[in-house]
Amino acid sequence: MTTSPTRRLKALAGVAVLALGLSACGGGNLGSDDSGENFPDGAINLTVGQDPGGSTDLIARALAGPVSDDLGVEVPVLNRPGANGALAAKELASKSPNGQELMVMNLSLVAITSLTVPEDDAVDLDDYTVITGISEDDYVLVSNSGSGLETIDDLKAAGSVDYATTGTGTGSQLSSALLFKLAEIDGTAVPFDGGSPALTAVLGNQVDVASIQLGEAVPQIEAGTITPIVTFAADRNEFLDDVPTAVEEGYDVEVAQARAIVGPKDMSDDVVKELRDAFTKAFETKDYQAFNEKNLLRPQELDGAELTEAWNQSIETYRQLTEEQGIDLGSSE
Amino acid sequence: MDFAPVIDGFGVVLQPENLLYCLIGVTVGMLIGVLPGLGPAATVAILLPITLTVEPVTAIIMLAGIFYGAQYGGTITSVLLRLPGEASSVVTVFDGYAMARQGRAGAALGIAAIGSFVGGTLAIIGLTFFAPLVASFALDFGPPEYTILALLGILLVASVGSGTLVKALIAAAIGLLLATIGRDSFTGSERFTFGILQLSDALDFVPIAMGVFGLGEILYNLEDRNNNTKAPTKVTKVLPSKAELKQSSGAIGRGSVIGFFLGILPGGGAVLSSLAAYAYEKKRSKNPERFGQGAIEGVAAPESANNAAATSSFIPLLTLGIPANATIAVIYGALLIQGVTPGPQLVEDHPDIFWGVVNSMYIGNVFLLIMSIPLIGLFVKILQVRAAILAPITVLITLIGAYTINNSVFDIFLVCLFGAIGYLMKKVGLEPGPLVLAFVLGVLLESSLRRSLILFGGDPTGFLGRPISGTLVAILVAVIAFPLIAKLWKSKSKQKELV
Repeated sequence: MTTSPTRRLKALAGVAVLALGLSACGGGNLGSDDSGENFPDGAINLTVGQDPGGSTDLIARALAGPVSDDLGVEVPVLNRPGANGALAAKELASKSPNGQELMVMNLSLVAITSLTVPEDDAVDLDDYTVITGISEDDYVLVSNSGSGLETIDDLKAAGSVDYATTGTGTGSQLSSALLFKLAEIDGTAVPFDGGSPALTAVLGNQVDVASIQLGEAVPQIEAGTITPIVTFAADRNEFLDDVPTAVEEGYDVEVAQARAIVGPKDMSDDVVKELRDAFTKAFETKDYQAFNEKNLLRPQELDGAELTEAWNQSIETYRQLTEEQGIDLGSSE
Repeated sequence: MDFAPVIDGFGVVLQPENLLYCLIGVTVGMLIGVLPGLGPAATVAILLPITLTVEPVTAIIMLAGIFYGAQYGGTITSVLLRLPGEASSVVTVFDGYAMARQGRAGAALGIAAIGSFVGGTLAIIGLTFFAPLVASFALDFGPPEYTILALLGILLVASVGSGTLVKALIAAAIGLLLATIGRDSFTGSERFTFGILQLSDALDFVPIAMGVFGLGEILYNLEDRNNNTKAPTKVTKVLPSKAELKQSSGAIGRGSVIGFFLGILPGGGAVLSSLAAYAYEKKRSKNPERFGQGAIEGVAAPESANNAAATSSFIPLLTLGIPANATIAVIYGALLIQGVTPGPQLVEDHPDIFWGVVNSMYIGNVFLLIMSIPLIGLFVKILQVRAAILAPITVLITLIGAYTINNSVFDIFLVCLFGAIGYLMKKVGLEPGPLVLAFVLGVLLESSLRRSLILFGGDPTGFLGRPISGTLVAILVAVIAFPLIAKLWKSKSKQKELV
């Protein structure tokens, strides 16, 4: 009798873990009907190529709930991080285009990361069916408020500038490299692993400036510890209406992170339409709109054709600009 | 100091869910502390996937509970069976087992529990005041400071491992090499990826930890199954006498202080501090010959120290984002999976996590004190569970867990591969701890070094030009030079004796 409590505890723990494991394996891709007549046939997997907790993941989770309610099937968000999302994108491309497998794709993956990796590893938008655009996330160049660097002219006057980026092959790197090149500022790029360490480096005066996503910068801008210099958006952001864009300052640098829902290539039009309608309804919910406002995301809810055109334009612009300016994103030199 | 967030932290801990997970954590910690072999690092690694389903603060409260709970449990087998459940309880064997043979096992376990409680609690109070202090100047820690800290951590963990220095350095070197796999985050070029896309994003820390700690230790322990048949000594009276309490109160206090400060060092932690506390008590004792013959201070000091160190080793993690030891490295991984990056911003951005975890340790220590005094008989019974039953269940949990983190079959293969590596390492006497810590610190070391050199314009003397990194370089030189000089001195005086 005396051993039973411990035994039972162990057995319980084992069962709990097994159940956990099995539920994560469930919701697989059972249907193989491509015609779309039986769509949706079971759960629709929404893959995210980044870790849980990042902006892409949060967006996927904000959309999954209302889309699931509308279509009447489960929409589990599966995190498959790796290689800036290339791992998840490559897996998706080989899946059946029946609409049961979707992914949140980042513009930077097809437009910027592809400039820094071997051709075989690059992700090509043509290999996917675009369902709908989602939103845009602006980049902002910030300095430490104690540094007195408040305008691009201040940076020019400073002589040489160390700037933090959120990593190689990111919009942060591209936006600042382009700006410094065009403004003829002697800048040294110091790559960090993501927005938070880059921001910390500015706060600790380890670097002079950093280009980071607006949502990540806002708490510190509000606290007055960092100063926004320019945004890299097309228009001034509502939240920072007194901060000019780089274009207004005379430098033609427009870089933003955009996101879209995509599926494997050659999905049927009916399925695409049904999915697009479900996402459009999700965009209209109050909760989702509040989520966008809270995270300073600008809706960019284009349909597949419009989005493909917009993204292809960005891809072409980025490629041309880096070539013209002789910027090699794959190297810190 | 603003105490509002500290008080709010208690609000977080007292939520029923968090209390429950704290209780689960310390109970599991106590259990695996009792089981020789399976250590806290392995357990935290194996249970990591479960934490995905709960809030970050709840997850870390549970994992932290496993870590310090194991420091309590590790004592039991040291005293009763002469088998230290944890490396940090090795020195407890000397006097603890001697006491048990004199029929004083209860007093030894009682004083260890009280010492652990006092050490742990004092260290939490220290942590409460000290951690925000460190965090306040943590922003001055830039790439150069991180470079030297990472180097210091790797060297220290190598020098305090349980094996020889050379073997620990070999294990650390393997860890550093593994850290170079993947796409170079500065230039985008591929390193050791052999065209495998999964490798281009670097090896994930979690399958390595689950493999070398979890699977590796289970495999290795299976070889030992016949050695574990000694019947535990009967435990009668668990409370030490008044005289014994009086005798050990000083040792508990000194052990707590030593443990607290050694625990903060990157690479230091519970093992080093228990050794240091024991050595110090022996040195200052009027009759050091009592040590090893059942001196109660010899149990009280190291047990207070290892608990204080387990608590204070959270300071570099929560303030700088640097894991001080292998178990903390796994907890670091758990925070990352939850989308929380430990670092200077943690106390401001996530005060609920910071103070929730810190304050949960008070409650956890009370749970542990209750478990180790009235309920001790129950935990002694665990020793009768056979490895043949435990091992397959643990392997299954490990593999399912490895899959669920990234939904990746590749990770299962990685766990198996590193399980085999961990087993072979143990066979040849290499500890997996330095490998895992060097892997984590290696990533930090390389990127910080390269960032520093970019900032210094390629000039390595830049490290000496900054006050904090300059001081750290001096400490680093001392750490390397001191044992060498001591060795030279010894061999010289030996030569003199021979002459």
